[in-house]
Amino acid sequence: MFTLGSVLDNDFKSTIEDFSFETEFSTNQLMLPNIEKPFEFAQSIIGLEKDLQENENQLMFHQQKKEERKERALIKGYKGTTTLAFIYEKGTVVAVDSRATSGQYIASQSVQKVVPVNEYMLGTLAGGAADCQFFLAHLGRICNLYELRNNEKISVAAASKLLNNILYSYRNYGLSVGSMICGYDTRGPQLYYIDSDGSRLKNSLFSVGSGSPFAYGVLDAGYRWDLSKEEALDLGRRAICAATFKDSYSGGTVKVYHIDENGWVKISDDDASELWYRYEEKEKKKK
Amino acid sequence: MDSLVGFVGKNYVIMAGDTNAGRSIMRLKDDFDKLVPIDSHKILAKSGEIGDGNQFCNLIIRNVSLYRIRNETELTTKSVAHYTRRQLATAIRKNPYSVNLLLGGYDKKDQKGSLYYLDYLGSSKKINYGAQGYAALFVGSILDRFWKEDLDFEDGLELMKKCLREVEKRLIIGTRCFLIKMINSDGISVVEKVMINSEKKNEIEEEN
Repeated sequence: MFTLGSVLDNDFKSTIEDFSFETEFSTNQLMLPNIEKPFEFAQSIIGLEKDLQENENQLMFHQQKKEERKERALIKGYKGTTTLAFIYEKGTVVAVDSRATSGQYIASQSVQKVVPVNEYMLGTLAGGAADCQFFLAHLGRICNLYELRNNEKISVAAASKLLNNILYSYRNYGLSVGSMICGYDTRGPQLYYIDSDGSRLKNSLFSVGSGSPFAYGVLDAGYRWDLSKEEALDLGRRAICAATFKDSYSGGTVKVYHIDENGWVKISDDDASELWYRYEEKEKKKK
Repeated sequence: MDSLVGFVGKNYVIMAGDTNAGRSIMRLKDDFDKLVPIDSHKILAKSGEIGDGNQFCNLIIRNVSLYRIRNETELTTKSVAHYTRRQLATAIRKNPYSVNLLLGGYDKKDQKGSLYYLDYLGSSKKINYGAQGYAALFVGSILDRFWKEDLDFEDGLELMKKCLREVEKRLIIGTRCFLIKMINSDGISVVEKVMINSEKKNEIEEEN
């Protein structure tokens, strides 16, 4: 009796494994229970044991600690950043801020939120810095291997799909990744949004982070497909600047990158607050 | 937050889905196609989490293709519905896919269209008309009242627009833009991408 089988069926496994060098990374090896959201469950169990050991008079303190732990464990929503990217006629523009916050404290004003995947692809960082940095660097390795094995440059769609599949297998493990894969390949400028929930969306503009609503405002108002290069870079810079002005978790410097058929180039790196007042002066001069 | 509506007419199945893809309060994409073609005569309309929907629909599509390649024969809508339900049911107690689906298809053998309602818990039911998401609350009663067997295509399209108009009017989450697809003996065709504005005295702008 013939039954439908999955693609990774026994007869196909050997051939698939030859080409799917990433499966060794995508099937996660962590031993966690087979329930919904195993990571949260594991965290809660660890907390409980610890509480039982400590003094019962400090119940309030334990509850606070548990809440803090819970808050830390459930870090969703990409706090503390604004990143944006959009494609237009001549290429892709990527603009990011550079502030990292830890609660109310500004941990750093000079974080690199753009990770180069290869010469013509950039990944942006939002959410958990460690998660993003690791997975984007890993994506860079995979793309390099692909080029060596297949003697052709990997497309942005394929690269984003690889990352998507890996992140999907870690779906309920508490990762926090809100990354955009931006690049220029044979199909022209491409932009994909990849999430730790497993979503993968293709569109012409995205903004990710706590300051993204503010950036969207400026971006949506000024975006056209037929922008000139100068206008496009200015739009990206202004949108991040607006977000850093309104959002306290975004700031530092505004970095702008441009990707076209020759690869990616870092265009500018301006201090966010200075930039704001520079724009204000420009407007005053116009009047 | 997703709205999917579908019903069976005379030798066709008509399905509509909203075109929003978002994250919490933000709309990330406003031309997102939720009516995914499985093969030339079947559509899987997905609602729920974007990631789960993508991965699960890919799984079903690739396996149906595999079956076709191995056996040189197309599966019926009923078989695909049963297979999909089984995948959802086996996953629910391990690694659940939070997707709710409407599977619509046209079988050349029977020359009839059929529609199946599939749930993330692994329930499956053959229906004549139905909806997923918040739309189900508003659209259910309209379809109960106005759906008849063997509706012509024009009447069916009018009924669908009536449903979508109601969704746009009453659902507080702004879903103005819907994509309507139709499956008949010729295959899947995009009927129209409709932008509904109920303020304009129930007028509907149509953009292709």
